[in-house]
Amino acid sequence: MARAQKKSTDIQIAICGSAGDGTIAAGDILKRAMAKAGYKVIAFDVYPPEIRGFGKCISRVRISSEQTYSLKPLSDVLISLDDSHAIPHVVEVRDFGAVIYEDTPVSMVPEGAHISGHLLLTHLPYGVPFRELSEQVTSSARSRNIAAVGYLAGLYGMPRDVFYGVISDKFSAKPASLTQINIQAFDAAFEVGRDTFRLDEGHLNPPPSNARNGDLMMMSGNGAIVRGCMDAGLDAFFGYPITPATTIMERLASELPVKGKTMLQTEDEISAISATIGAGYAGVRAATATSGPGFALMSEMMGLGAMAEVPAVIFVSQRGGPSTGMPTQTEQSDLNIAVFGSAGDSQRVVLAPTNVEGCYKCAGKAFEIAERYQTPVIVLLDLYLSNRYEAVELPAKNPFKENCSKPVGKLKKDQTYHRFEITKDFISPRAIPGDKGYRHVVTGLEHDEKGRPRDQTHQKMSQKRHEKLLSVPRLPNINMSKRFGDKGKVDVAIIGWGSTFGEILEAMIVARTEGIRCAAMKVVLLSPLPLEPINALLNDSREVLVPELNYEGQFANMLTGATGRSVTRLNRVPGTPMHVQDILDEIRRLAGKKPGKAKGRKRLAAE
Amino acid sequence: MSNIEQPVYLEEKLEEIYDSGRLDYRSKSFPTWCPGCGYFSIVEGMTTAMNNLSIDPDETVVVSGIGCASRFPFFVNTYGFHTLHGRALPVATGIKVANEKLTVIAVGGDGDAFAIGGAHIPHAARRNVDMTYILFDNGIYGLTKGQTSPTSVLGFKTSTSPFENHDAPLNPLMMLLSYGAAWVGQAYAGHPHHLAKMIEQALAHRGFSYLHVLSPCVTFDKTTKTYKNLGMSVRELPEGHDTGDIMAAMAQARITDTLALGCYFKELRPTLGDGLSDITRRAQGKEKDNLRKHDKPKKSRTNSATKVPRRRAAV
Repeated sequence: MARAQKKSTDIQIAICGSAGDGTIAAGDILKRAMAKAGYKVIAFDVYPPEIRGFGKCISRVRISSEQTYSLKPLSDVLISLDDSHAIPHVVEVRDFGAVIYEDTPVSMVPEGAHISGHLLLTHLPYGVPFRELSEQVTSSARSRNIAAVGYLAGLYGMPRDVFYGVISDKFSAKPASLTQINIQAFDAAFEVGRDTFRLDEGHLNPPPSNARNGDLMMMSGNGAIVRGCMDAGLDAFFGYPITPATTIMERLASELPVKGKTMLQTEDEISAISATIGAGYAGVRAATATSGPGFALMSEMMGLGAMAEVPAVIFVSQRGGPSTGMPTQTEQSDLNIAVFGSAGDSQRVVLAPTNVEGCYKCAGKAFEIAERYQTPVIVLLDLYLSNRYEAVELPAKNPFKENCSKPVGKLKKDQTYHRFEITKDFISPRAIPGDKGYRHVVTGLEHDEKGRPRDQTHQKMSQKRHEKLLSVPRLPNINMSKRFGDKGKVDVAIIGWGSTFGEILEAMIVARTEGIRCAAMKVVLLSPLPLEPINALLNDSREVLVPELNYEGQFANMLTGATGRSVTRLNRVPGTPMHVQDILDEIRRLAGKKPGKAKGRKRLAAE
Repeated sequence: MSNIEQPVYLEEKLEEIYDSGRLDYRSKSFPTWCPGCGYFSIVEGMTTAMNNLSIDPDETVVVSGIGCASRFPFFVNTYGFHTLHGRALPVATGIKVANEKLTVIAVGGDGDAFAIGGAHIPHAARRNVDMTYILFDNGIYGLTKGQTSPTSVLGFKTSTSPFENHDAPLNPLMMLLSYGAAWVGQAYAGHPHHLAKMIEQALAHRGFSYLHVLSPCVTFDKTTKTYKNLGMSVRELPEGHDTGDIMAAMAQARITDTLALGCYFKELRPTLGDGLSDITRRAQGKEKDNLRKHDKPKKSRTNSATKVPRRRAAV
């Protein structure tokens, strides 16, 4: 990665500790404060699947003045709150980066157990007595994590005031004295940090003057989904807890009732999707959220939704699979089940946002599409996107339409309503229970235009269900795909989907600085594929690279199947986000360049 | 064996049926069931009950799963949703949550309810979703041509139990009573007038009402639950049966060599809709004001519980 240039800022801080150390809380305070100060922030936490038991927690926060798209493979600063967990991550600190650690351990440390013995020659050590600092001011070691953040803030000259606000917010539900204590601990450490003699050259320049302080909100992918749902006027949500989708349900549980809407925790995922379909049939905006294992249970109902033409929105936050897999690790391996998973030809719409802002847009748009096309819409997320924080600016005006349903016309005398009437655009006017005189039965059986079970209409109705979706790629006000980078003919095109696109974009930007002609495309609409722009890019490019976090290359298979073009696959399933370096190496190889000497150190297996 | 005292003239009877308005609730689809099937009388019972209660067919949804019984929505003239095997109840719950004003009726067979859909019944019952669940129990899988079901009797020979059924049958009434269903009753397809009355009571009850309808499968079961056998084993509930006494209801449900018909148990308690409006009140901070006013948390809770029912109980 390019080193921070003058006047611009790009610092990535990793905080590593044991479950219970307050690692995630410290990262949370840091990222919120920096977003408030006007910087662009991307953050991602890694935590163990167990609630207690000394699991490893890492919070990574990238603070920059320019827009960035992913985390850097090497951090500029590592703060260790627990040396046993932090030692393997020392190699992820860049040359001349800083390692901040506890230098006055509370008891005797066995040989090799202290982090200072593991630093590389190129690392800059900062030993700080966090525990003592915390104890001196608050007479307890519990504010150790806040002291660490305070020290960092002092060291890098971060604005103090924003931290006060964030810390107060964080402890607003607790007694006021707790806020006071933590601010004291922050202050004490801040002063120590400020007075420390600086060894490294990285520093925090003031945020760009055009940064709008306060307009930027720190938001996670799941948080943006909730905002999108609320803005789109979600009426009823049914869910069953599953990592990493649970936070969507939890937030809606407190937000929906305020608007007089409903969140119901059902007995299983089958019930959740069934109730969603039921509510959609009754004419309201309904949604559910789940992860791979729950989605597998839902697939039969997805078929009913397609057959009976009922709108529903399903948020699927992928995790490592198959089966229970890796509940707290990220992966992009539910693409196949999202696009194909049900009995028969069951056409549906699948959207996959690539960043937090996209989560908001896709969530809201999904309701419009579901209603307009009368079909289930799946929004594919993954753990990395669900849990990562970005500073985003949401539109001031609600961008989502209220009712997109095709209304029924007035019936003439003796005319009966045909629920599945075949129209020019293959979308039938939809009546809902309670409408006077439009009584009908919808069914999962193949049916005729009236909705009565009939096998002979299968060809005609299959065509209807298929063709009505063909106009989805041309819907306005949302990028179903977008091309970045060089225009015209390129040597390498990188096509990606979902959270991995951030890494793809970073790799492409670096490759272009090295003189490689390349373009990147994000594909947001995964079913039906927006083939027009995809084919245009394929025709422009000599080599095509498809990086994705699954073993089989599920998206690459789909692309090859739809376009007949063979592509180069880059598949990784480490449970963590794709590394920019891996993509970059592959771009260089395809461009015919020797793999250049990687800047920084080659990544070692740490996680 | 007829207890008809006076001759019935077809023309007069037809006129009476036309005049009643009951046929407005019948759809124009011709039922796909076998001649003699007990389910015909459930359609008759349902249309009679809906007519008697003047339920608006435009504001009614009949939800079903898969099976012979689940073809039911096609034969009544209301909104209908023929869903997936075993999933009628959660879909019906979603519909009721979406639009509280709708009258929601779920129907299904014994396999649909107690085999594949068994996980959903306790939850619909404990949430007390304001809907009626009518279960058509013929003790066999009819649409797949005669296999054992969870309510098939021991020793029943079918295509999947050629050496006799060794799995003890479930006792659906005991299950529903212990799940906390707010209205539990049993009727028999061979007694259509009583059946119609029971459907009427179940529809009128505010809360989750469960009506178990015994019915023969005339095509695939010639030995166990036939009209003859069922007709001999059904009886009335004992005189003075207390429908508020759950233990008395369970004592009756335990007796399976003879089958009591009637309302076993009923109670009025807050429905899912009541709970949801209470949640909304709390979320909007109105509950707090209420507390301050009365200074008694108990009172506000009972207030929400005794919201005026939309339909008056017929009994």
